[in-house]
Amino acid sequence: MAELAGTTPPITNPTAAQEERVISPWRDAWRSFRKNKLAMAGMFLVAFFILIAIIAPLIAPYSYDVQKMADKHLAPSAAHWFGTDEFGRDILTRIIYGARISIWVGCISVAGSVIVGSTLGVIAGYYGRFIDMIISRVFDIILAFPSILLAIAVVSVLGPSLRNALIAIALINVPIFGRLVRSKVLSVKQEEYISAAKAIGMKDSRILFQHVLPNSMAPIIVQGTLAIATAIIEAAALGFLGLGAQPPTPEWGKMLADSKDFILDAPWTVIFPGLAIMLTVLGFNLMGDGLRDALDPKMKN
Amino acid sequence: MKKSLFALVAFILILSLGLAGCNSSKTSSDGNGKKGGDGGGVMIYGKGGDAVGLDPAHETDGESFIVTEQIFEPLLSYKKENTDVQPGLAKSWEISKDNLKYTLKLEEGIKFHDGTDFNAEAVVKNFERWMNGDAAKFPYYASMFGGYKKDKAHVIKEVKAVDKNTVQFTLKRPQAPFLKNLAMSPFAISSPAAIEKYGDKIGQNPVGTGPFKFKEWKRDATITVVKNDSYWKKGLPKLDGVTFKVIKDNSARMNALTKGEVDLIDNVNPSELDKIKSNNKLQVFERPSMNVAYLGFNTEKAPFNKKEVRQAINYLVNKDELIKNFYNGTAEAAATPLPSAIAGQNKDVKDYGYNETKAKELLKKAGLEKGFKMDLWAMPVSRPYMPDGKKIAEAIQANLKKVNIDANIVTFDWGVYLEKIRKGESPAFLIGWTGDNGDADNFLYSLLDKDTINSNNYSRYNSPAVHKLLIEAQSTADEAKREVLYKKAEKIIHEDAPWVPLVHAKPILGGTSKIKDFYPHPKGSQSFVEVSMTK
Repeated sequence: MAELAGTTPPITNPTAAQEERVISPWRDAWRSFRKNKLAMAGMFLVAFFILIAIIAPLIAPYSYDVQKMADKHLAPSAAHWFGTDEFGRDILTRIIYGARISIWVGCISVAGSVIVGSTLGVIAGYYGRFIDMIISRVFDIILAFPSILLAIAVVSVLGPSLRNALIAIALINVPIFGRLVRSKVLSVKQEEYISAAKAIGMKDSRILFQHVLPNSMAPIIVQGTLAIATAIIEAAALGFLGLGAQPPTPEWGKMLADSKDFILDAPWTVIFPGLAIMLTVLGFNLMGDGLRDALDPKMKN
Repeated sequence: MKKSLFALVAFILILSLGLAGCNSSKTSSDGNGKKGGDGGGVMIYGKGGDAVGLDPAHETDGESFIVTEQIFEPLLSYKKENTDVQPGLAKSWEISKDNLKYTLKLEEGIKFHDGTDFNAEAVVKNFERWMNGDAAKFPYYASMFGGYKKDKAHVIKEVKAVDKNTVQFTLKRPQAPFLKNLAMSPFAISSPAAIEKYGDKIGQNPVGTGPFKFKEWKRDATITVVKNDSYWKKGLPKLDGVTFKVIKDNSARMNALTKGEVDLIDNVNPSELDKIKSNNKLQVFERPSMNVAYLGFNTEKAPFNKKEVRQAINYLVNKDELIKNFYNGTAEAAATPLPSAIAGQNKDVKDYGYNETKAKELLKKAGLEKGFKMDLWAMPVSRPYMPDGKKIAEAIQANLKKVNIDANIVTFDWGVYLEKIRKGESPAFLIGWTGDNGDADNFLYSLLDKDTINSNNYSRYNSPAVHKLLIEAQSTADEAKREVLYKKAEKIIHEDAPWVPLVHAKPILGGTSKIKDFYPHPKGSQSFVEVSMTK
């Protein structure tokens, strides 16, 4: 008995020791991500913009839609750090609120395309045959259009509004994720653990959602982060063309469009929204690149 | 086999070389033609929107008229700087004592661009065509002549060719501005042969008697007209042609002018006035103001069928701010539809002025103190009376928000926009008007009489009292009496508030310093017949 009791710790100990040695792939990725200075800078940029988007009402010095015509085109000063626009509205405030819109549009539209794209991709990759053919050809067709042109066409049909711009951006990104997931599924499908799962009679849905999809996650995350950056640019482009957010929404692209006539007379009306777009997109791009380096097993030394 | 193939390829190459040679020599000789000559050349005119159509009688907008003015001529014309009538295709006229018969002597020997003779018969055919039309075909006709042949209010009883060069108009009742009406851009004379030949497509194939002939129209890009060598006025036109280039964006158009891509542009952003003045290669042309920009309400649609709501919104628009921020001061606040250049403006009508409390009181009276949602339509293009409709809409939107009115800004393509507001589909809309003949009738009757609903009365304002005054003013020959009548009408219109009259703007055009003898006409468009360009 005493012997038995004595043997218990050695059984647990090796596992504990093993856990210390064998690090989960996510943690490993985080480690290599943290080492990448550019990626960390990107993450801080993104975190910064998300933070100001969340606490916008607390930090915005003015209201984004109250106009004060007499204050037209005031240069940046202590009262208005980024100056004022044609309607006498504080540009800093509008950029802070604009962060909400851009990040919201970026994240939601990409989330939408990830969900739809990966579902279609998984179905196409796993079942193959004619389902694959139909889905893949639809993807090809969508990808054959220049993305912004397709977005413009979708918005023209649905009518210009922020929601429709979001739908359009989600739609044009669907095939990107669809293709990605499909190719990943095709390779995962050949793995032995999938054959094993099939052999013990697991249902397709369980195999798909518990084995195939989690093992295809890494490229989705990388592509997703990069796609948010493109989505933000596309939303700004649609806003610039008057097809996205409608006034008085402080969308960055629309702010650019409204002030482009004053690029010489009141450059701050153009510079600051432009900078905001650039920095957010840069942040997501750097972060996405870092994630790619961290998550891709081939990139490991 | 191989040899013959080689020979074929060689032949094709030689042929294409030859053709290319032909082509280039042709363009270069064209180019020489353009550059040479006495002050000729092709003038490139940058405009903010494409023409809707080129059948003048079918159109009501300045973007179309600026082109049709070159191709067509009306029976009479206006003086260079104001709207006094002078001879045009008709060289003289006589009016009967009862003001009911107008006899016009036509110029002889004029031919349309397609070779058809211009004569009394052609004039009659044009008028018959218009008066047998309807509001969808010839919307402007009803605004000026009281309706169509089948309507009771129609002014013209008969148009008759007395002889080859004499036309006689018989009216049902006197119409004081009748001669001015005849000189308007929409009532220019088209070739009867072309009307028959092209039918519904005449709007793409205009044939008139004007100084320039239509050559080509690329939608949303360019319209080209070339010199009419057999123009009936000797030595004119001086230019070899005019190319109208659509550059929608105001600042892009301004850039094109600065870079020399275009020679003359309209609708210059008021904020860029100083830029032109300080550039010695450019010159400013100020068009005498004869326009009004307004926010119209559809008086048939709730909640704007209530006078209180319309008045409340009148109290909510701050015109001085709009003028300062979006017109750079190049406009004056409007209290009545009539600009000061037009006889009959009632100076006693005091503007509503900005007053939030009064607006709230009125909304409460209408039972709408909690506010409401509305669509506010803004025009997509820059107009002489309103350089940027969307921004004006945004400014108004912010003021409406103060009394909980949520305005959603809506816009369409220009042609669609005009068509929809004409049909009364919009609840509230920004639009404006440039007077076409300098008479108060052309503002008040054209825009606010019950006869012109479905035509230019976009707010579908129907006031019997105003109608009575306007008809009486039309039928009176005495100018002083007419002014009194118009002033009375303005008072009622002010009270009923079918519009928020916004501003009377002073449109600015910019051109290169090469342009000579160009006089912007107050009516908003003009022929370039006398314009020349120095090298």
